[in-house]
Amino acid sequence: MTINEILDMLRGILYTTGVFNFQWNIIIMWLVGALFIYLAIAKKYEPLLLLPIGFGIFVVNFPLVPLMGFTDEGHGQLIRIFYKYGLEWEVIPCVIFLGLGAMTDFGPLIANPKMLLIGAGAQLGVFVTFTGTVLAGFTLKEAASVSIIGGADGPTTIYLTQHLAPQLLGPNALAAYSYMAMVPLIQPPIMRLFTNMKERKIRMRQLRPVSRQEKIIFPLVSCGIVALLVPAVIPLLGMFMLGNLMKESGVVGRLSETAQGSLMNIVTIFLGVAVGATMHADKFLSWKPLFIFGLGIIDFIVCTMGGVLTAKVMNLFLKEKINPLIGSAGVSAVPMAARVSQMQGMKYDKSNHLLMHAIAPNLAGLIGSAAAAGMFIAMFN
Amino acid sequence: MKKYMLLSLVLFFVFTSFASAEDFLGAPVIPNAETIVKTKARFEFKSKLSHDQVLAFYKEALKDYEDIAFRDWKEDTYIEDDGAMSWHSITISKIYKDGSTSVTIVKDNWTWIIGTLILRFIAVFVVLIILFIAMSISGKIISNIFKKAEAKKAAA
Repeated sequence: MTINEILDMLRGILYTTGVFNFQWNIIIMWLVGALFIYLAIAKKYEPLLLLPIGFGIFVVNFPLVPLMGFTDEGHGQLIRIFYKYGLEWEVIPCVIFLGLGAMTDFGPLIANPKMLLIGAGAQLGVFVTFTGTVLAGFTLKEAASVSIIGGADGPTTIYLTQHLAPQLLGPNALAAYSYMAMVPLIQPPIMRLFTNMKERKIRMRQLRPVSRQEKIIFPLVSCGIVALLVPAVIPLLGMFMLGNLMKESGVVGRLSETAQGSLMNIVTIFLGVAVGATMHADKFLSWKPLFIFGLGIIDFIVCTMGGVLTAKVMNLFLKEKINPLIGSAGVSAVPMAARVSQMQGMKYDKSNHLLMHAIAPNLAGLIGSAAAAGMFIAMFN
Repeated sequence: MKKYMLLSLVLFFVFTSFASAEDFLGAPVIPNAETIVKTKARFEFKSKLSHDQVLAFYKEALKDYEDIAFRDWKEDTYIEDDGAMSWHSITISKIYKDGSTSVTIVKDNWTWIIGTLILRFIAVFVVLIILFIAMSISGKIISNIFKKAEAKKAAA
């Protein structure tokens, strides 16, 4: 072997290393990934999602890693396969909703169905933010996908974004889950700003008991109404109601346990890693993702305000008043937003337990944000 | 030789007509069209081409744009821009009147955006109100059934 041949071999090895193909902008993405891993582990902010997302961001931002590209034969690489079959085909958000439905008890909402109006009112931020996003230079489809962040519903955000503006999937999902984790920080000042002391102390009547038959009929009725009025969102809400029906029927315990347990965990891993892996430095480091993060918080604030104000407007017509602190739970960060209402209520009256009352608008917000997403899909169909 | 020269001339005029094609707010305008109305926000014109020929022209002219939607309506073909173009829509009439097809290009306007947002926000309320009514009715029916069943049991 000659020296030139040895040098050629060494050069060949060097050219295939990440060190030789290094770009400085990927360091920023390592830090972004590390930040989300830190928030997940140290601060316990939505760890089930932020940990795999943070790791996805970190690992995909190394040169030449065969994760999100295609092989020479044209097959997708590992995470590309998760992305294609899970996110591009919009399967994962629907399966997550199946699991969520299997975990959800709609009793508080069935007992007090007028809370659905709060769930609708809490979508105010979605439509207001749309306007702001268009003004900032986003296309209409991008604006729709960004504004749904305020609905505080991760799978809906991912479903709508993949449908309308897949190039924004990473920043939108990250913004949605980050702000969902920060609900206890973002909401209380807004709740205090739009309520007075008297309103915060309103006590609500204990909810009536809900029969098993009502809980079984509810997913069928909701699914039917949504299928007739907003069919575009049935893949999401239909799976949600299926999960709920499995839970409430009481006869398919194994299926319900699998849906809310192992199946949910599996798809959560794939979701997190695939979403994180879409955030390569070349795509992420531009003004749009940063703007999305900034706009996301305004979206959340206006949605919180919308829920609280809707409760106050309803009080003008109701004999039995609603404590407007539960209006903020119309932002569908289940059950975090309901817990925030509980904590805020107890600050002003230690014996005023609002949690079960707040769960109703919390669940209504989930249906409301899915309905809003369906409206946006219909806008472009 | 003459054939090639003639072909080159034809091609030259075809391509220059595209290259120097008129446009309104970035939306292509069919060459040699007759203007009916032209303002800053709206341009309506007539073309001797049929609806299908006009549609083919726009499909070719807009083929590289991602956010363009073609909607086939009863009396028109409606081309909508969902992206960042200055124009909002191009409407091609299917009614071939007086040997011409009318085309209308409309500027992007906030009235449409705000209007559709307000309608859709209200529509979310409508969906949830209908669900509220359905839940209230089904709740009442089921609780009545149970009351009757319990009354029967108590009587027995």
